[in-house]
Amino acid sequence: MSKEELLALLGDAVADGDGDKAVDLAKEAFETGVDPMEVLNDGASKGLSIIGARYSSGDAYLPDLVGSGAAMSAVMDLIFAQTEGTASLDTQGVVIIGQSKGDIHDIGKNVVSALLAVNGFEVHDLGTDVSVKTFYEKALEHNADIIAMSSLLTTSLPFMDDMVRYVNDTGTRERFFCIVGGGPVTADFAESIGADGWGQSAFDCVELCKKLMARGNPGSGPTIKVDSQAEGRA
Amino acid sequence: MYDIKVQRVVQNLEKSYSGRIIPMHEWDNKIIPSTTKAILKKHGLQGTLDLENPINCDDSLADAFFKAGWELALELGFYCEDTERVIKVSEEELLESIRDYPDHIVLGEGQDAVTMYPRRPESTVEPLIEASLGIVCSEEIYLPLVQGIVKYPKLVDALHGPSLATVFGHTIRSGSPLETLAGHYESKLKHEALWRAGRPGMCCVGVNSAITEYGHLGGAAEVAGRGNVTQSLCPVEMKVTFSNFHRVLHGLNNGHKLRVGAFSYIGGFAGPPEGAALTCVANDLLVPVILQSDYTSSYVYDIQLFGNCGRKALWANSVSTQAISRNTGYMRNKIVNQTGGPCTEMFMLEAAVGLMNHCVSGASISTQPRSAGGRYTDYITPVECWWTGEVFKSCAGMTRVQANEIAKALLPRYEGDLPASDKGFSVYECYDLKTQRPLPQYQELYSRVRNELIDLGMPLNNVYGDTFAGMDKDVKLHMSL
Ligand code: B12
Repeated sequence: MSKEELLALLGDAVADGDGDKAVDLAKEAFETGVDPMEVLNDGASKGLSIIGARYSSGDAYLPDLVGSGAAMSAVMDLIFAQTEGTASLDTQGVVIIGQSKGDIHDIGKNVVSALLAVNGFEVHDLGTDVSVKTFYEKALEHNADIIAMSSLLTTSLPFMDDMVRYVNDTGTRERFFCIVGGGPVTADFAESIGADGWGQSAFDCVELCKKLMARGNPGSGPTIKVDSQAEGRA
Repeated sequence: MYDIKVQRVVQNLEKSYSGRIIPMHEWDNKIIPSTTKAILKKHGLQGTLDLENPINCDDSLADAFFKAGWELALELGFYCEDTERVIKVSEEELLESIRDYPDHIVLGEGQDAVTMYPRRPESTVEPLIEASLGIVCSEEIYLPLVQGIVKYPKLVDALHGPSLATVFGHTIRSGSPLETLAGHYESKLKHEALWRAGRPGMCCVGVNSAITEYGHLGGAAEVAGRGNVTQSLCPVEMKVTFSNFHRVLHGLNNGHKLRVGAFSYIGGFAGPPEGAALTCVANDLLVPVILQSDYTSSYVYDIQLFGNCGRKALWANSVSTQAISRNTGYMRNKIVNQTGGPCTEMFMLEAAVGLMNHCVSGASISTQPRSAGGRYTDYITPVECWWTGEVFKSCAGMTRVQANEIAKALLPRYEGDLPASDKGFSVYECYDLKTQRPLPQYQELYSRVRNELIDLGMPLNNVYGDTFAGMDKDVKLHMSL
């Protein structure tokens, strides 16, 4: 099998969420002398693009995204071991995500979480009903770049305000981007609480996180608002 | 003594301490997708989605979904998030529940009481409407808004009501002590609004400001007995939490009927529309057993469209609703999730197609409306409640074939806008809370769309012959603000 064929198969295995097959193919690629970074960029990562496109066209579903994310992680672990930790496998950034206190609506947040993961972010999903303190402690523990809060309930929005004030009051505002989203969360609301960013959909959230990572300097600059459907809505 | 339901709930709670242990991640991402897929395959149901015919007219397909849903219910049961164990049910339990199920339920009391009946597809029995759907409104307009919602006795049968984000001007945080107070306060406001509207015995459903069980504990006793209802909604897919059990037990403690729901998502863990239809059938079978509901509140939702008025969700709701209507006497609440907001044609068309579908497929009741997806404070007016009542009730007696043709004619008028629909206008911009009338632009829109749909074959003048002027003869409102 040619190198190209092998890498294409690897991409398909990641897209299909078949972790075992992806790991076997990656091993085979190393054995035939393919550079680990090529395995990553021209093989496994392609699979993530494939699954992203399948999801947005309605041909793949939430568990498929999760499966691809897991297959990708398995390949990354292997590459990391292969290069004895020297490969620069820098993630796009580290994200702590969860559903605001009191809120158990988690499907939208799960989609955001999975899409961030398939787009190369290291995601720590804290689940539902997460207190401001837990968000903060986990952000410190994982040395996060971004704290992403989701809420579908108007009565759980005040916790987003609490979060931004908490990082301010603990003198750590410049360490974490605070971003918000979910049903009732509007761009104006995000701005009013001094969040770094807001996104309308899960795809917008990925865009938003990339923009923030490129911009740098949490807590400074205007709230970035991403709404790819805005034109249709106007 | 206690209702027999209490004993059964306790038995199921016990099961939640002894069932098989599974990590939640595995339940969501492995067990639900693989089991759903395998059962669809076994019953030949993969690829049965019919986008050209969004309202299913094929009885044998509905029956096949029933058989497959029965199997799924028995194979999986519900997952208890708090104990990370599975609550399974036996075939005997499923059969016993169907056998012992009542042939009607009375909601409310006195002259405001209404009766809900099981409905088969194409039933001529009028279904019921509970309004509105817990959309947040400003505290100062709660009373007049509710008065308007229940204004026309033939359109709205039970009060679900808006919910609150402040109490005495203080911001409510979910699960905080203010939520406990808000639950009580909301129940009191509902009583007063119903009394002002001249419908004091109308059934109150749920405590909407009860984000957690605290709000419910705060408000349930205030609306005890008198044919009122507790609502308890389960996480997706096929899961239950102690918060659900808390609400059910509060409800039973207070002599309430129980409305319990478990939703299914197209694009979520159950995958394609066929998968969501299948889990929806299983949910409608399991909820009455595990949480002892008097009526269920399960339906299919499409996560990519943020609602259920697109073709895929219409089809999945039609086939799953018909599956249960044709094979059991269960009464079910089926919700339409509109995405358009108040005073938009989008909302009116989504509501018309969605409710016509639920009606001809055999739903007994619907909680409405979900104006603008229910997202924005004060984006709810009484008019959407009335419209959903007119449509849902008027369609009783239509055939599925007729409904399918009308759906096919209306869908192209709105489906392209579904991913980015118009949130419309807030109550202040399109409704007069003093006169309890829509503002002229909304009144015109309402009459225009209503007439267009009548011309298309929807018998919307079945309940009230004429809009507004005709309807007003029926108003009991005896006090304005
Ligand atoms: C399904 C549902 C439920 C399910 C949730 C199941 C689950 N596991 O998620 C159940 C039945 C459990 C439920 C319960 C309740 N619900 Co509910 N629910 C809904 C419903 C119908 C759909 C929500 C949904 O999943 N949408 C689809 C997802 C994909 O959208 P999304 O979450 O917004 O996420 C997208 C974007 O917002 C974005 N995004 C999400 N998070 C983030 C984060 C960031 C940082 C960014 C950038 C972007 C982003 O990306 C996602 C994908 O594109 C909505 C109504 C509606 N039409 O939206 C009501 C709704 C949210 N619920 C509501 C209410 C009131 C309740 C209850 C309080 C009812 C009650 N009294 O018991 C309880 C609360 C329980 C609790 N403590 O949380 C209200 C909230 C009103 C409000 N403004 O506060 C709504 C709006 C219904 C209404 N009134 O019309 N609910």
